[in-house]
Amino acid sequence: MPPRNALFDDDDPMEGPSFIRRAVNAVDDDDLRPPGNHNLGPGFGGDEEETQLQQLIRHWMNERHAPDILPMQEDVLGRLLDHIRRQSQTVQLLRGDPNSSEDEHFRIVLAQTEIERVKFIVRSYLRTRLFKIEKYARYIASNQEMQERLSQTELDHARAFAKLTESHYNISVLQSLPPHQQLLEDAAAFTPPMISEPDKSRAVFVHAREECPPVRLPGGAILQMKKDQIVLTPYSVVEQLLAMGSIELV
Amino acid sequence: MALPPSLRTSVTPPELELIASEQLVEIIPLVAMERTSFISGAYGPLRPPTKCKLPIWMATNLKLKKKCHIVPPEWLSVEFLQERLSQETSKEEFSQLPFRFTEVAKVLLDIASDDIQNPDKIRYLLKDIREARQAKSRQGLQMIDHNELSLANLCSMEINEIRPFFVRAMGVLTQVNRDTATDRI
Repeated sequence: MPPRNALFDDDDPMEGPSFIRRAVNAVDDDDLRPPGNHNLGPGFGGDEEETQLQQLIRHWMNERHAPDILPMQEDVLGRLLDHIRRQSQTVQLLRGDPNSSEDEHFRIVLAQTEIERVKFIVRSYLRTRLFKIEKYARYIASNQEMQERLSQTELDHARAFAKLTESHYNISVLQSLPPHQQLLEDAAAFTPPMISEPDKSRAVFVHAREECPPVRLPGGAILQMKKDQIVLTPYSVVEQLLAMGSIELV
Repeated sequence: MALPPSLRTSVTPPELELIASEQLVEIIPLVAMERTSFISGAYGPLRPPTKCKLPIWMATNLKLKKKCHIVPPEWLSVEFLQERLSQETSKEEFSQLPFRFTEVAKVLLDIASDDIQNPDKIRYLLKDIREARQAKSRQGLQMIDHNELSLANLCSMEINEIRPFFVRAMGVLTQVNRDTATDRI
């Protein structure tokens, strides 16, 4: 018999190993929305702490807009996946209970709807990364700095994908070319390189989450963003600020 | 499994709607519900007829089942929007509106127009505001260069609308600038 108010119960002991190891210092009541976080007024929803879901949404949007691959947010993702799992377990338990009332049933529907919403965001986040990983697979395979931003599974996939496409190019075209044209890494004049790299000069829309330290623009001028300012500027200008979390892409 | 090509260049309005629906809105419940914890936070308890704040997606769900009335936010009213429209047409800069006002207004007008006073008038005002603002963002394009373009008070849906063109324009300018720089050397 499942507990009547299982949906309130946040400290469910977890069964089985978590999908990604739970962050060591994860707080238990991390799903409490901080008070006052319902600012619909001008601006972006106030200065309050973000909930984990809001954090993931921010990283999801950053990933969608950035031309480069951003560092994998394993902590945020891991905690949310745990949360989804616990919530689905609770829903399963309650659904299995034949004595559940109308009221209970109604809450289950809401909880399930939310699980699906969060799952959509998680999937879209991962699929966005996957798209970029496959696009830049060969560049990643040869670039240490890029590799550090990927999770282990992503990195394995990138390597395997790069190897596959490379052998495919070799078999289908390159091996029948003259030897000096067989390499993928040649730098012929006036042709784009065959290994695609992220185009960091692409412009992005930036929203400053706080007062930002000054950054240098390609023309040499200085850009200093105030809180809540919205600017269109090349990605390379704000790359550092994005890594620090001072800005978000919108 | 990678992202479908149609979504690669930009986010879509339904996705923006999904994000906006995480915002809270005030409702008057018609059913009771204990305080319940969800992934995005704990909401409730619902005790009719005490007002309560829920995420918009949840309010939508309840409203469609006729289990609540939605209290529209202060800015979704004829007076407020009328005043913003007159600012929009008399001043050069964009007036201040909530960042996701388009999305929120659409959702609420779609599902809860019976809870909003004068929904048709509001729709007209929103449309006029949108047109006035669109004209301004087109003018803003004149000031674009390869460095930066500051766009105060622009809203999420508007950014999404001008994104492909503005990004491309800045890309071309960057290219031109790079080329002249190399020519000089």
